[in-house]
Amino acid sequence: MSTPIASSAALPIAHGLLRILIVLNWLFAAAILVLLLFMPHEQWILRSFKLAPSPDADRLIAGLRAVAVLGVACVPVNHFILKRLLAMVASVRAGDPFVASNAQRLRAIAWALFSLQIVSLVIGCIANAVSTPAHPLHLDAGLSPTGWLAVLLTFLLAGVFAEGARMRDDLEGTV
Amino acid sequence: MAIVVKLDDLLHERRMTLTELAEKVDLSLANLSILKTGKARAIRFSTLESICKALACQPGDILKSD
Repeated sequence: MSTPIASSAALPIAHGLLRILIVLNWLFAAAILVLLLFMPHEQWILRSFKLAPSPDADRLIAGLRAVAVLGVACVPVNHFILKRLLAMVASVRAGDPFVASNAQRLRAIAWALFSLQIVSLVIGCIANAVSTPAHPLHLDAGLSPTGWLAVLLTFLLAGVFAEGARMRDDLEGTV
Repeated sequence: MAIVVKLDDLLHERRMTLTELAEKVDLSLANLSILKTGKARAIRFSTLESICKALACQPGDILKSD
């Protein structure tokens, strides 16, 4: 039997924060798309980064565009994660978190985080490939031990929720 | 081989209703109904003991293998 959890203030805050993040995620996507589609002039990019026209600068611009495309590609994945987190918060607020659907959501989130880590590695490789001593490119991407730890923990948590849901089902069926 | 609950047969033999049994064993009618219809996943020893006392029977009279 589930009872709503009314006392915790963290849950409404988490709910509101996730809703804001969902909106910000799409605004972020729109901003990158605008940059990609409406400001493609190389002169503008060269001026912004204080670069002189050169083959290295061209490679850097191509690399930045590739990173921007990957950034846009990550937006639906972020949305996928945030929507599932929102549903999980709603289930916790309803006092019913240990259900099989939450275990499935966590497993899906873990795979989404895994894919984001792969994209981060690709972005790190692109940054390394286009960066030169004259035009260094420092991006917060690449191999992230904490990111991979988060992937592992989320898979683990999905297992814990699956087991918790099974135990709760057993308990509910115990007379 | 499935375990089946013979509570219905025992109640019929004892001429007792499920509501009367629920009052005697201090268990909710809903839970007893779950047990009677074979929808329960598990039964506590304390529940089994209470039902056995109320119906003056052995656990083996309530639970049988099909």
